[in-house]
This record gives sequence, C-alpha cells and structure tokens, in this order.
Amino acid sequence: MLLGLLFGWVIRPVEYIDTAPEALREDFRSDYVLMVAEAYVVDSDLELARYKLASLGSHPPLNYVIDAIDFGVENGFNQIDLQTLNLLAVDLRSIPPAPEIGLQ
Amino acid sequence: MSRLGNFTLIFGLLLGFAAGLFYSWTINPVEYIDSSPDSLRDDFKSDYLTLIASAYVATGDVERARARLAWVQITDPASTLGRLAQNRLAAGRPEAEARALAQLAAMLGERPSPLIATPTPHGAATTTPLPPSPTFTPTTTPSPTPSPTATASAPFSLTAKDEICDPALHETQIQILVLDAAGHGVPGVEAFVVWDTGQSTFFTGLKPELGPGFADFTMQEGVTYSLQLIQGNGLETGISSKTCTDGDGEPFAGSWLFTYQQSTSP
Repeated sequence: MLLGLLFGWVIRPVEYIDTAPEALREDFRSDYVLMVAEAYVVDSDLELARYKLASLGSHPPLNYVIDAIDFGVENGFNQIDLQTLNLLAVDLRSIPPAPEIGLQ
Repeated sequence: MSRLGNFTLIFGLLLGFAAGLFYSWTINPVEYIDSSPDSLRDDFKSDYLTLIASAYVATGDVERARARLAWVQITDPASTLGRLAQNRLAAGRPEAEARALAQLAAMLGERPSPLIATPTPHGAATTTPLPPSPTFTPTTTPSPTPSPTATASAPFSLTAKDEICDPALHETQIQILVLDAAGHGVPGVEAFVVWDTGQSTFFTGLKPELGPGFADFTMQEGVTYSLQLIQGNGLETGISSKTCTDGDGEPFAGSWLFTYQQSTSP
C-alpha cells in the first residue's frame, strides 16, 4: 500500500491542468483582483467587476478585494495599487447586500 | 516458502498497491490549490488574457502587462492576443475587450521582447514562492504611456486609396492603414463596412505582424461596400473588387488599401 501511495502522490500524482481562477495561488489571485480593479477605475462598470470577481469563487466579491488589500499591505504593493483596490472595495461595499432567502 | 505462500504474498502486495493508488488518486489526491495562470483552463485563460489587456489599457503599464503575460506562458503572445480579439469579437463579446486585446497585441508586435517566463513549476503544489513582486515595483508615478492609441480627439482622414494587385493574396480585401499625426500605426481603431445585405466592424492591430495600424476585411466578389472609420470624417462608397492580371496574363480579383492619417490638430 505504501508503494501505491508513493506512486499516486509522488511519482505520478493526479495532474490538474485545467484549473479555475479560484485555485490560483494567493499572489496571483491578488493580482487578478488588482487587474479587475485597474479596469474598473477606467470603465466604472461595477457589475462587470463583480462578474469578473465571481470567477474566484462563491464568496462575496468584496471579500476577495479585502483579501487582496491585506495581501498587498503585507507584501508591499505600492500606494497606487492599494488605492485602486480600495476604490473597488469602497464601491462594492456601497451595494446593499442581497436579501437572504427565507427571511420575512 | 510454498507456492501458495508466494501467491498470497504477491496477491497481498498487489492488493495493497491497488488500495494505495485508489486512496491517493481518488479518496485523497494531491490538491493543487496554489496554481499559476498557465494551468488555467482554456476559457479561463482567455478571460485572464482579456483581463490583462483591459488592465493594460487602463493603466498603460507595459512592463506589468509583460510580466502578467509571462505568467500565462503562451507562445507568440502578439498573435495569440490578436486571434483572441477576433474570436471574442465574433462571439459577440464587448468591443472594448477586442479593442484592448488589439492594443496589447499591437504593443507587443511593435516592440517584441522575450516573454519567456521564469518557469513556474507546472501544476506543482509548490511551497516555493514565486511572488509577482516584480510587478509591484514601488513607484509613485504612473508608468509611461504605451504605444499610440486612438484616444486622441483629432479625427482620421483618408490620405490615399490604392488598388492592390497581389496574386499572393488569396482573397479580395478592403485593407486599411491608420496612422497618427506622426505617421505611426494606431491600434484599436474601429472600421465599419456596410453592404446591401449586411454590415460588419473590424479593428486595427489584430494582425500585429502587419503593423499596429493595419486591418483587413474580406470582400465577396460582385458586392459593393461602403467604408467608414468610426473616428474618421468621411465615408468611402462604391468599393468593389477590381480585375487585375498576373504575370501570365491571368485575371484575378484585386484588393483596396485605404490609408488614413490623423490630422495634426483636432
């Protein structure tokens, strides 16, 4: 069984070659969010920005932007990048949350 | 050891190996949660490239766009982006996407540079950091403006209309060449063609190997077209293929090249 585990985990593990953006490593994911924010600064299309951020997973888009800001602060993003991210975060925060199903 | 004992031992080993494989491939496979952009599925990769282009157009940051493209590890980025722009345009995606891709493709075509990325361990669940830190160089000023874009307010005017008799062209085309006031090709300029039964748009810069300001449209023989640049100030009508003759005196359908240039003042 150990041989099988060695073969399956080390020698020939399952290959994931068709991944989704939600599987991106944190630095790439943060840069993805930054790209969305950079485009948003110019086109001001919040719906489009939310659509792009939705590729990162099922969490609210704002969460990804906040994560990217945290990552940027920890990793020395320059001020312009942080401001760009913050602008998107502020605008996303201004959207009223969707009502939860089942609430009266 | 008896033959039965050998058989039991081998059987036990094989069973254990199979159980190990089943566990490691199915029940608890290696998880790749820290992937890089080069491992994205094709459709996500197309979205990623489009996002790079949109961010490039928004910021004008050439070096950052190059770094991001390097992470995707595509061969011949300029051509790939040009094809992607055409595909997305054909698929009915927003024209802004195609225009952004065209501008990025044109920038890469103008100033080719090695886009060979530092190889990322392909699909490896690596713990070795490959931070995109080169992208985030501390700067306090925006990066230089990239190649000329069609954002200037001055319109483009037709400066030349030339018949193209090139037997190497296997189709009849309306070709356009759009130049700025300094004579440099301008990518991302939209042209509009209309004929009796339809209309279409096409953009400069989608074939960066032919120059950032170049674009073409395939004509059908016997159909007459009208051409207008969206940022132009004139309409060309009555465009149809003309008959040319090759070196052997054989007739073939010729094409047209329309050259537009931006006036020096708005």
